[in-house]
Amino acid sequence: MKAGIAGVGVWARGVEGVAKFEQSQLNDFESMCESSFVNPKPECVPPKERRRAGLMINLAVEVAHQACDDAAIDKTQIPSVFVSALGDTAITDYMCRKLAQPEKLLSPTKFHNSVHNAPSGYWTISAENRAPSSFVGGFRESFGAGLLEAVSQAHAFATPVLLVAYDIANSAPFEDIEPVSESVGIGLVVTNGESVGAHGPQTGAQGRQNTVLFDVDFEAQIENDGGREQVISQPLSEPLRDFACANPVGAGFALLEQITAKRSGADLEQIPLLNELRLAAAPAAMLRISF
Amino acid sequence: MAGEPNQRPVTDPVDVVGYTLTSSLGAGVECMRDSLRANRGGLSNSSWPNCDVQCHLGRMPLPETSDRFPQLDGGRLSRNNTSIAWALQQDDFTTLVSSAVTRCGAARVGLVMGTSTSSIDRTEDAYTALGEDGRFGQAHQQPLTHNPHAPGDFVASELGLLGPRVTISAACASSAKVFATAQRWLNQGLVDACVVGGADSLCLSVIYGFHSLQLVAADACRPFDADRSGISLGEAAGFALLERAAGETQELKLLGAGESCDAYHMSSAHPDGLGARLSMQRALEAAGLGMENIDYINLHGTGTRANDSTEGKVCAELMSAKTLASATKSWTGHTLGAAGIVEAILCLDSLKTGFVPGTRNTQSVEDNFPLLLESVEANISTALSNSFGFGGNNCTLVFGKS
Repeated sequence: MKAGIAGVGVWARGVEGVAKFEQSQLNDFESMCESSFVNPKPECVPPKERRRAGLMINLAVEVAHQACDDAAIDKTQIPSVFVSALGDTAITDYMCRKLAQPEKLLSPTKFHNSVHNAPSGYWTISAENRAPSSFVGGFRESFGAGLLEAVSQAHAFATPVLLVAYDIANSAPFEDIEPVSESVGIGLVVTNGESVGAHGPQTGAQGRQNTVLFDVDFEAQIENDGGREQVISQPLSEPLRDFACANPVGAGFALLEQITAKRSGADLEQIPLLNELRLAAAPAAMLRISF
Repeated sequence: MAGEPNQRPVTDPVDVVGYTLTSSLGAGVECMRDSLRANRGGLSNSSWPNCDVQCHLGRMPLPETSDRFPQLDGGRLSRNNTSIAWALQQDDFTTLVSSAVTRCGAARVGLVMGTSTSSIDRTEDAYTALGEDGRFGQAHQQPLTHNPHAPGDFVASELGLLGPRVTISAACASSAKVFATAQRWLNQGLVDACVVGGADSLCLSVIYGFHSLQLVAADACRPFDADRSGISLGEAAGFALLERAAGETQELKLLGAGESCDAYHMSSAHPDGLGARLSMQRALEAAGLGMENIDYINLHGTGTRANDSTEGKVCAELMSAKTLASATKSWTGHTLGAAGIVEAILCLDSLKTGFVPGTRNTQSVEDNFPLLLESVEANISTALSNSFGFGGNNCTLVFGKS
């Protein structure tokens, strides 16, 4: 299927926003090693709601708005796909600790925030968006699985679709389930490969190409039947590669790095432009992305 | 009963090749039919371990013998996965899927699973035995179980599916939305066949969670009743096999799906039903039908004061006088992430058998909403099912028979 990326958002240690990511990229992502994590504060969510929401929801909503701003797209109309390997482990921990006590008193707010589509709820409310919105789980292969669903929706609805991928850092007991040592959020405005036209400019103010086009193919590796082999293209740059390994949706950094490098038009010695990326989309299955 | 379509469908219909449902109405479709015809509801005033909330529950009578599900030994054990394993043994569903895998190839058969609870029942259990180091005990070290994709991963592994595999979690709209995604994948040729499913299990999270919002009824729920007092929770696992439409060979079809968000509140529906209306309109548009073409509506109808009143207002305004409408959560309980597929299968089976379930327990309907109270025999050709969830997430499905 034809596809494109018309806007990006990102939040991780040292790269709070796409401008910082692009800056950092020119400098071997040094800021990612040197900085501490800053809690995202999405401006479109009222402060009281932000406090009730918690880190994971704020992270997702922040990169969702960023990606739409970057694509200069109408936020009220874009369908969205939210993906995460583990969901909100801070809320899961809260709920299960409370339920293990005799009184079992739960906060109603925490309970309604415990649904996996809570970030989608906060996003649609903050953007006054009534388009279709989903949470898609694919565990360790969530990023690729979500990208495929976003591309499929972009074709079906003939409109760009917002993909929002995130997992928050965890500790015991969840680090034994899937270790996440860095909180990461990545937002992408995914198109069906057509010009985004009325939805936003194809070319940015500096005359750079804003939409990066590619083909997406789902490929099952039948010879590996039953295996859980990871098929992930790691980012080319360190320490981005370390971040990709520190978070299940970090696979998205491989795509993000190529998108920002390709659309900058600059000749980045440290980031060769690739013709192909392979992202895990399910156990023993991958998405082949051909630029 | 359905009239001529009033516009060209914007999505291609897909065939519903087969389906199976296990819920508090019994294991498999035959048991479900027997319960409905014998006027035997699934809700009972049964207790739940470590729970003192007064409520009625729609429990699945899971077999006690664990040796019946040896596939759960390898780190997959949970109540939700047990109910999936049991449900997959009904109605020869695995044989049906196997034949699709043989015909199409495993890589061309996809899976879209819907859930809200996933295997959180098992995570709750793990927290009752946390070690002093804050870690799960050895028996609970189950990466494939403690995550939102647990049901999808388990079903794909059970059925040997190698196409795209995802789990959709959108609260009570989860397993309605699976039909929308599968229809897109089939229309686009991403897959040649697609298993859709939904599974949610009773657990302390949902009972105490809805209790914290003061939404749980003490007695069995009474959707749309003037004296309704809240929901009754239930659990279920259901599956359907969808394929690209191949002429008139299959009787039952998914005609269209509509999805929307309220953009209003995390746990209250938009008071004017803005999202609900959009969801229904988009589904009808996708199916190329008008509301006057719909013979039966399976309402979301949870039994809470606010939700039923909003949905009732929107439906009363949109539906035609001849349309039958009932709410079936008073039969099955509100099965949350499984509710979408439970009610999709009730619609499909009504299309197939001509038996339309009424709204159990409800006696006096508010505002004269034309609700079907007693089950009836009716030869319906089209059915619409509403599913609305937390986060303001809505999905409507339209099914038909040729």
